[in-house]
Amino acid sequence: MIHIENISKTYSRNGLPVTALRHATFDIASGDFIVIRGASGSGKSTLLNILGCLDVPTTGTYQLDGADVSRKSDAELSRIRSRKIGFVFQSFNLLPRTTAIENVELPMIYADRAVSRQRAAAALARVGLSHRERHFATELSGGEQQRVAIARALINDPALVLADEPTGNLDLASGSEVMRILRELNEEGRTIVLVSHDDAVAAHARRALTIRDGALEAQGAGQ
Amino acid sequence: MNLLALFRSILRTLLRDRLRALLMMAGVVIGIASITILASVGESSRRDTMKRFKNMLGTFDTIIIRPGSGKNRGMVSLTNVEPTLKFDDAAALVAEVPEVRRVAQLQNAFDIDVKYRDRNGTPAVFGVSPNWPELRNDTVAEGAFFSDEDARSLSRVAVLGEDARKQLFPDEDPIGKVIHIGDVPFVVRGVMVAHGAGPAGASLDDLIYIPVTTASRRLFNRDFLTMLIAQLKDPEQGQVAIDHIQVILRARHHIAAGAFDDFTVTNPRAVMAQVNTLGSTLNRLLRITAALATLIGGIVIMSVTLIGVSERRKEIGIRRAVGAGRTAVLAQFLFEAVCLSFAGGILGILLGIAGTQIVSRVQRLPFVLEQRALVYSALLSIALGVVFGIYPAWRAAATNPIDVLRD
Repeated sequence: MIHIENISKTYSRNGLPVTALRHATFDIASGDFIVIRGASGSGKSTLLNILGCLDVPTTGTYQLDGADVSRKSDAELSRIRSRKIGFVFQSFNLLPRTTAIENVELPMIYADRAVSRQRAAAALARVGLSHRERHFATELSGGEQQRVAIARALINDPALVLADEPTGNLDLASGSEVMRILRELNEEGRTIVLVSHDDAVAAHARRALTIRDGALEAQGAGQ
Repeated sequence: MNLLALFRSILRTLLRDRLRALLMMAGVVIGIASITILASVGESSRRDTMKRFKNMLGTFDTIIIRPGSGKNRGMVSLTNVEPTLKFDDAAALVAEVPEVRRVAQLQNAFDIDVKYRDRNGTPAVFGVSPNWPELRNDTVAEGAFFSDEDARSLSRVAVLGEDARKQLFPDEDPIGKVIHIGDVPFVVRGVMVAHGAGPAGASLDDLIYIPVTTASRRLFNRDFLTMLIAQLKDPEQGQVAIDHIQVILRARHHIAAGAFDDFTVTNPRAVMAQVNTLGSTLNRLLRITAALATLIGGIVIMSVTLIGVSERRKEIGIRRAVGAGRTAVLAQFLFEAVCLSFAGGILGILLGIAGTQIVSRVQRLPFVLEQRALVYSALLSIALGVVFGIYPAWRAAATNPIDVLRD
């Protein structure tokens, strides 16, 4: 599904070039469950952003479903994000002043499709939050917010779900509930790429990619 | 991108934070309200001035001829005009000026005691030709105006203005009653429809009409007139008629070449045009001021939207992550700005209508809504949203989602 070949990413910070990612090459098969590990500042998030088509590599190629997406325009990348990729963030990133169900509907607006309330309600039901549809993000607990975020990530039925420390801000119970849902999604055939420090979380993955100073270190199997 | 769904969700969000929205549009509301009030009150006072002039001058297809070289201002009367304009002049104008349809004659005086039993007053006494109401667009409210036959036979009949009727006959039917103008008895034949105020604000109804022939021979004993009103066949022919009238009157009055006229010809249309220009210059200044206020309203929207863009970087990042392209973000912020300024425009128009109502009541002007100004205001508010929303929207679209999604 994903073929990354020799990608590097260099930023300019205060006029100085900073290399966040260097010469990474790897593949992710469809239906895989990958954890990306590494110290903070090692380049994990940069890699995740590139995988999620929020960013493009400076050099190298990124093929998603056989298409080279490393040189696409903003509009094309946005279309790919809305149709093929779902994001889950550490800090949930729900829109304030917006209800749970409206948050879930959001990606449908940008996917150029009819906004279906039933579909959004079904997605919320799937993460066990039917009773919270009309609540604003600020009225939900952290675990509930993250489940809304997962429902939002799923609403356009993406093949690839990217999760950046999805349990980082959650208590143990909420965190394991989130991981249970992610594993379930994986079992349905979705590809999951997860960034995490947490060994317990990493244990859910089939495979781990470790990054140190922007370089991929080892590709080991998960437990 | 599903634009309709996007706009619906934006409207929902805007409506949830009404106070913020209201504050953002306050400038536009005030600007548009003042434009609406100024345009409407301006139009209303222009029409009011027109009406007052029309009240004084009668219809606008007339030319006014007064005795003298135009030095004396204000209302003519037997005591302040030169004795140059005669009954024969009136007849000559009808006969010799092809543009003139007919001519009305006036011989008037003020400060004459008028009595009915124990009541008295000093309304203006207007000796006029029987065609006077038609030329002046006057109508009789009760009874009738006097006829050509009355004029020929020097009848002592009178028609009252509304103020004179109120004064002399506060609770009595005046028709058929005998009043004394000076010492001469007159039978009341009718009462005129009230006119209201003239340009200076004074009442135009405090008067009594009698036949000009009767006035000349039986009351004032003067053979000259205080005014002639010539009605034109075609109102556009005003200047041609004036030139003709001048040639004929100069010849009749034996005025040597190079000497001044002993009469003054006024074209009410020309006077009105002047009044209108004056009014519109003032109006224009006021409108520029109101437009500036609206412009400031637009700048307020821009600055508040700009602050909003930096406050909402996270939201922009989230939207980008779930599939919004730069265009979608641009459209969102632009739409928000347009919504706010358009809503501000509509509120401003409503406030302006209310304000116009108050101003017209206080100023005793007729309530007039300048519909064109309403449409322009609505369009202007949309344009403001676009013009002042585009830069913040562009800034929002340029926000890099990667920078803002990480805490």
